[in-house]
Amino acid sequence: MIFSLAKKSTLIVEDFAEFARSVRAMLSTMGAKNIDIVYNAEDAIEACKARKYDVILSDYNLGQKKDGQQLLEELSKYHLLKSNCVFLMLTAENTSTMVMGAVEFQPDGYIAKPFTGNLLKSRLQKATDKKDALHPISRAIANKQWEVALENIDKVSKENPKYKMSCLRLKYKALKNLKQLDKALELVTKIVSQRAIPWAMQAVGEIFYLQKNFKKSLDIFKNVTTEFPMALEAYDWLAKVQHELGQPIDAQTTLTKAIEKSPKALQRQKNLGSLAEENNDLPVMTKAYREAVKHSAHSAFSSPEEYLKLTTALTRQINEDPASSTDAVTKEAEQVFGKLEKAFSSSGTTKLRSSVARAQLYKANKNEEKQKKHLADVEKNLINLDEQISANISLELSESLREIGSEELSDEILNEAIQQNLDDPIFIEKASKLSNNQDLINLSKQAGQYNSKAINYFKNKKITDAINYFKKANKIAPTNINICLNYVQARLKQAQSDKQNIDSLHIADQILSTMPNLNFSDHRYARYSELNRLIQLMLQERE
Amino acid sequence: MQKNNDDIFNLILASTVHDMKNSLGMLGQSLKSIFEHIDPAAIDTKANNLCGIVQYETSRVNNSLMQLLAIYKLENEQLPFNPSYYNLYDFLDEQRLLHLPLLEAKNIDCEIDCDEDIEGVFDESLLGTVLENIIGNAIRYTKNKIAIRCNQNDMLEIEIADDGSGYPEQMIKLEGNYIHGINQSSGSTGLGLFFAQKIAEMHKHKDQNGSIELANGGALNGGRFIIKLP
Repeated sequence: MIFSLAKKSTLIVEDFAEFARSVRAMLSTMGAKNIDIVYNAEDAIEACKARKYDVILSDYNLGQKKDGQQLLEELSKYHLLKSNCVFLMLTAENTSTMVMGAVEFQPDGYIAKPFTGNLLKSRLQKATDKKDALHPISRAIANKQWEVALENIDKVSKENPKYKMSCLRLKYKALKNLKQLDKALELVTKIVSQRAIPWAMQAVGEIFYLQKNFKKSLDIFKNVTTEFPMALEAYDWLAKVQHELGQPIDAQTTLTKAIEKSPKALQRQKNLGSLAEENNDLPVMTKAYREAVKHSAHSAFSSPEEYLKLTTALTRQINEDPASSTDAVTKEAEQVFGKLEKAFSSSGTTKLRSSVARAQLYKANKNEEKQKKHLADVEKNLINLDEQISANISLELSESLREIGSEELSDEILNEAIQQNLDDPIFIEKASKLSNNQDLINLSKQAGQYNSKAINYFKNKKITDAINYFKKANKIAPTNINICLNYVQARLKQAQSDKQNIDSLHIADQILSTMPNLNFSDHRYARYSELNRLIQLMLQERE
Repeated sequence: MQKNNDDIFNLILASTVHDMKNSLGMLGQSLKSIFEHIDPAAIDTKANNLCGIVQYETSRVNNSLMQLLAIYKLENEQLPFNPSYYNLYDFLDEQRLLHLPLLEAKNIDCEIDCDEDIEGVFDESLLGTVLENIIGNAIRYTKNKIAIRCNQNDMLEIEIADDGSGYPEQMIKLEGNYIHGINQSSGSTGLGLFFAQKIAEMHKHKDQNGSIELANGGALNGGRFIIKLP
């Protein structure tokens, strides 16, 4: 069969216009009619939102902003690629420079520039053949149907011996996701016993890690980093294992080595920053989070954490190093706050955290006026907050506010968090160390116990008893969303089994309409809306 | 401070190489466009040959740049080495494809003798750069024919042979010390062999290392380059 692009839509992402045109000419000779060209990653993302391409050719170097790898990561993360889309990376260098990094998001091939039309055609054809052959597997994986994937892997592997290695790698991934760790280990150990293939060696270490066999895992990853000094992911794993074994200083050294080789990795910089914080190494912590913030702007994996950690480090610098230039450090921190608030402008929690951190900065600066101003912002942001704050962030905020002497706001956040998380014993333990409201802690523990008792009754289908205890828990902690939803569900169950019972429905309806608002992005929102739908439906039927 | 200078040099080297490679790409592309604009009847053999020379020299410079960057990275432990299983025939076929325009222009026959089922373990990108250089040289020195032959016994062996006048005796005598073959006054191609040797040695299995070998003679009675990988 002659390879043709006649029926395929293609996208060229290349910052060098002349070169983009020459690639277009090559694609035209292969019969391509639908060829779009964009000159940067941002436009490529827009193009992929508008249209699902069959073939994407992207340069790795795309100027100052996102590079080709980051583009691929973002397209994959937001599901903007067809599962059989062929993505080829055009590179200036020896191609394996990038191959050893991101295992999760790999392109279907690399071509070193400059290249001829003949070579492009050959690579495209090979990548297309492979993608098509493996499609039954990649489709199942995209839908997280790992069992189906496993079945398809065996089939595809038998029919296409050429793709045996790729199939083995996918099989490893499927087994790992199915938590069949012994089988996964057996598979990769067999590969490694024949040849030292970097990905398979790493996989062995990964399984040992998952099996909590940290000593063996350590040996493997040390071995990989010695034999393949550019296998950067192995350094990430090695650091993780070292940390697990209580060697945070070694872990920091390991990550520093990896970052010297490739500084352009957001998660690695964040991990280094966190280790440096643990090791009390303020200069490294500051530098790592500074780099993280720099890369965060172009990454699909950016989060407020790196920004806030950087301002924490800078604030600590003012507190701990009197020789540092306070003005310059403050100015840098202010810029970071500005970037943070712009990047996450729709998040109420981020606004709140940012205002708390700003108040901390000016406390360190001994600038009372500005500290007060930002504390006023904290209050305002707290009132306007339209989402639940997670347990850990609540603790962090409460602690910070206490440090800068704002007991009242600290208590407000902590008390709300205690109410919301009383079914989380680890959290309550931490909170009880911070809170001076021992009554609330005790009551919360009580409510938490009622709640878990009720859940047990519910599981054993003793609905009346369950309702009894949920009711008690709800009475102590009326704003706790989990308890509200549990109670509503028990009431609903009762109404479903007893057609005469309208009271239960009214009580459930009452709770749903008076409990705290749930933001659409909250993971419990789906449960809330389904319960609400069922109750409204039954109320209509019965009245 | 030293570390810092290395970083800066690394950055300058990488971005300069990137820039030069882009220019080379444009050069080749522009030449192609010039030919498309000329009446085909006006292109005689001489013009065609000259065009072939430009293309050849362009790809030589490009390949040298790749080797230069790779050797620099190798010295700094920054050259990724990622061996995996590859189908050897497909790999070699692609190497031939890379040189096809020139092979056709110079009317050189290039045959591959390789079992289609051989799966070899090597770093595709690095071995590719090695072979691109060696085949490029073979094209330069051969008369009519190049033969790529390979087999897999204890070692994976790839031979590139031509029917030219062979390697100079002093080069064959270097036997593994190809760094001494880099000679400014003679403009020797020692870099390519030095690079090939380095890359071969990176390939290890159990207690065996890869190696290269030069010889003259063989079936084509010309130069023979042999790379052995464990």
